[in-house]
Amino acid sequence: MPPRPAGRARRRQRLGGVAVHAAAYAVALLGAGPFLWSVITAVKLNRDLYDPAHNPLWFNAPPTADHLVYLWRHTAFATFAWNTLWIGAAVVAVTLLLATPTGYALARLRRPWAGHLGMAIFLCYLVPPSVLFLPLSRLVAAAGLQDSDWALVLVYPTLTVPVSVWLMMGFFGAIPAQVEEQALVDGCTRFAAFRRVALPLAVPGLAAVVVLSFVLCASEYLYAIAFISPTAGKVVSTGIPTELISGDLFYWQSLQGAVVLVAVPIAVVFNLLLKRFIAGFTAGAVTVG
Amino acid sequence: MALAAGCAHEDDDAFGAGVLAGGPAEQFTPPTAKLSGALRILAWSHFVPTYDRWFDGFAGRWADRVGVDVAVDHVDLGQITTRVAAEIYAGRGHDLIQAVAPLPQFEPAVLDLTDLVHEANRRWGSQLELCRRSSFNPATNRYFAYAPGWVPDPGNFRRSMWSKIGLPGGPSSWDELLHGGTEIRRATGVQLGLGMSQELDSNMVGRSLLWSFGSSIQDGEGRVTLDAPEAVDAVEFMTRLYRQAMTDEVFSWIPSSNNQGLVAGRLSYISNSISAWRTAQRSTPAVAADIEFVPALAGPAGAMAAHHLVHNWVIPKYATGAAAGQEFLLHYTANFAAATYSSMLYDLCAWPGRTPELTAWLRRDPFRADPPAKLALLVDAARWSADLGHPGTANAAIGEVAGSFIIPDMFARAARGEVSAAVAVADAAARVRSIYAKWQARGLVA
Amino acid sequence: MGQHALAPRGRRVRDRDRALALLFVVPTVGYIAVLIVGPVVLAVAYAVSDVTVADPAFDWAGLANIEAVLADPVFWRSLLNTCVITVATTSLAVAGGNVVARLMLAPVHGRWLVRLCVLMPWVTPVTMSSVAWLWMLDSIYSPLDWAGRQFGLLGDGQSVNWLGRPSTAMASVVAVQAWRLTPLTAVIIMAGLVAIPRNIYEAARIDGAGRWLRTRFMTVPLTAPIVAVAALFCAVFTFGDMAVVRVLTNGGPTHATEVLATLAFRRGIDGGDVGQGAAVALFLLPVLLAATLTILGLVRRMVLR
Repeated sequence: MPPRPAGRARRRQRLGGVAVHAAAYAVALLGAGPFLWSVITAVKLNRDLYDPAHNPLWFNAPPTADHLVYLWRHTAFATFAWNTLWIGAAVVAVTLLLATPTGYALARLRRPWAGHLGMAIFLCYLVPPSVLFLPLSRLVAAAGLQDSDWALVLVYPTLTVPVSVWLMMGFFGAIPAQVEEQALVDGCTRFAAFRRVALPLAVPGLAAVVVLSFVLCASEYLYAIAFISPTAGKVVSTGIPTELISGDLFYWQSLQGAVVLVAVPIAVVFNLLLKRFIAGFTAGAVTVG
Repeated sequence: MALAAGCAHEDDDAFGAGVLAGGPAEQFTPPTAKLSGALRILAWSHFVPTYDRWFDGFAGRWADRVGVDVAVDHVDLGQITTRVAAEIYAGRGHDLIQAVAPLPQFEPAVLDLTDLVHEANRRWGSQLELCRRSSFNPATNRYFAYAPGWVPDPGNFRRSMWSKIGLPGGPSSWDELLHGGTEIRRATGVQLGLGMSQELDSNMVGRSLLWSFGSSIQDGEGRVTLDAPEAVDAVEFMTRLYRQAMTDEVFSWIPSSNNQGLVAGRLSYISNSISAWRTAQRSTPAVAADIEFVPALAGPAGAMAAHHLVHNWVIPKYATGAAAGQEFLLHYTANFAAATYSSMLYDLCAWPGRTPELTAWLRRDPFRADPPAKLALLVDAARWSADLGHPGTANAAIGEVAGSFIIPDMFARAARGEVSAAVAVADAAARVRSIYAKWQARGLVA
Repeated sequence: MGQHALAPRGRRVRDRDRALALLFVVPTVGYIAVLIVGPVVLAVAYAVSDVTVADPAFDWAGLANIEAVLADPVFWRSLLNTCVITVATTSLAVAGGNVVARLMLAPVHGRWLVRLCVLMPWVTPVTMSSVAWLWMLDSIYSPLDWAGRQFGLLGDGQSVNWLGRPSTAMASVVAVQAWRLTPLTAVIIMAGLVAIPRNIYEAARIDGAGRWLRTRFMTVPLTAPIVAVAALFCAVFTFGDMAVVRVLTNGGPTHATEVLATLAFRRGIDGGDVGQGAAVALFLLPVLLAATLTILGLVRRMVLR
């Protein structure tokens, strides 16, 4: 390849860098813009918020913490958040345990039924919960789990497992087969090949499954309404509307505050997770590949 | 910078702590039999937050006196049907469930409360007709629910706006609403706020208009009567209202939209409970002073408004605490004055004798109304209010018609010009008839 | 690998593979059979019966529910809306996700902050973010309208009234869906991108392949399966979702944004007619099946080419 003039290349690179920076920040703003505005709304006084002439993007009267205090003191926000958190974590664990091996088996173990089964599992996700919650409510009651958060731990994997199996199938399928075959030839058992070779390579996929499953749980609300009614057991997506939307009256500031207080910590944790996984993976890929 | 100025606070005692001081004293109603065991109550999460705090305490105090282990869970309006459906279908859950719309569709799975209603009538005189019709099924001769309370749905208007066009007392008829609303819109751009979307307020205002024009979904015997020329007149009238005095905003509404619009000065009239004004009393007192109320608007065939909400307490057949539940309901009804007071006059009693102070409260609001007699029109609210099935009962078919928002949809299609008023009515009537046929086949509708 | 050369050893491996495959698959299949397939079978049974919540005895109603659904113009409208929203959202989210995934990997100052911001729409529970958007699109207080008025795009006191007109209501639903799902596609695609071993690129670069060639013949085929998975997820999550529509428009104005999921719920639960609700809900299946097969077919072609 003929070497290009160094100056032009550098200039092009710099221009490209500026464009990439601009694009990245624009995308960030698109994602987080509504939340920034939520933050401002959350600390507005009523007389500031409920005046159509006021600038909705900035303060027209001093800010107030009253509505956040209300969220904290007069609603069980902390309880809801904790429930969402631990239920989500438990479901993620169950999902990983079920979906990772299944995804591997369907992608790698060359069973004749693998394709059909994979399709069948995926199809299971396609039935919407709008009606399914009725039969499930019987199951939950029969298991003695009505109004227990464990009901959600039992039921939520119906949302996460089918998609996660698929995701893992995709990730295991993308790992070059030779890598594992080499391990098998070297005398590894199939299980060892899965655990020592395929699994580490699929780590970004696992990260995606974790994020996906957790968010599916945190977003779900129909089952949460149907199965859990005590305040102490409610999750964010049912508890917050119950306490902050009284039909005719929305506690807009507290609601917006709750949105941000839920979104930011989850995003921070997932961000760390993604970074670790991606960094670890690129390092791993170089040595294994 | 604003932030540097430090934190401000809402001017008033915004969340109502202490506002209930001076309410009526509670009276204990001794149960007729020795009670024990547990009673699990599922109640709606009230639009007026002070009410829920009162109710939880009230239930707890009763529990201590009678030795029943009471637990109260709250669920918001949008979640009630889902939760009730799940419990009833599973055959397990709360012993006592409170909804604020009729629950006739659950009749086969709930106890017949005829004896309870008769006992209440024996103690306190006869129940308000609109509450009776919201809980009684003539086809099976059963009370599928107990309806001790209801919430009226008056017209809310901005006095300053209506004064300018010579109607300081607000509109009294649909014609005045049309002409006044048109004039206000022309002069100031402020529109009327009658919703035509898939939500509660739209459902109610549509029925009020139908009745005032002499049409209804069904007649007194439960036969479908929607496809009548009077209904077409009502739909055409709504179309005129929309074209002359409203914008497409009304198709997008949720229950809080018209409240916010009225308070923001963007709407001159809405049909709603008193909650918009109560909220404004706290957030913007000057606006609250400008909001006033009118009873049901008169049309060619009279003046009748749908209730805003009606209590429906049901006891599922699976309930182990059924006896305690019925005793609690009697105790609750006996103390309805406290319920009315703690809801800031939002909930009214089905046995008006239980709230003897109500007239005095309405004429001199205990919660700082300006002027104090603002709610005096509600003294005879029961006279101009009706149940969802008016002139019949709120049966299961009426419930599904309401739950699938057929009436607001009918008005909206014509108003938006998608179809003519006649076609909108005919289509809606066809849907209604097929719904009736289904429930008739199941024996729940005569 | 030739069958003959490795026959004895190969069979042993295959036997062990079979045992392991069963071990890996059976728990998942068992769970799914009990908690998904069972209820789904019941849902099918609802659709051909006159079950109500209060009277769960199955009385055969034949195809009456399904006929009623097919004769209902609102159902066809909902089906169309569902498809339009799904296709629009998926296209936006996949195109956006491809770009965002690369931006998330690009060496940008404050990259962690960029990633954080990008993730937020997806990690917020959908009911809550939809409520936030409800206020954003409010007919009176919308900051978008306020900005429009400041820039003179809207007259004094005017508002776009996003949710009150069929076109803008539909656009709003799609925008919110795409906004919340793009981060998901981006994360999936990003994982696919980092999974491509570096050394393949190095080799190609040394062989003189330019950026375009590397993209066309390496990145695209290597990430195609994962992009397809992202598209599929996005489609499925949009297709079955009822939260966004229920919160933003509840199907209005006059069913202009009604989708199958909201309609099924309204008929089956709000209206109390479980049979008809189930009949509507079941129509999601064949449509999704067709969409899934199409997407998978496309992927296979892309990979093979």
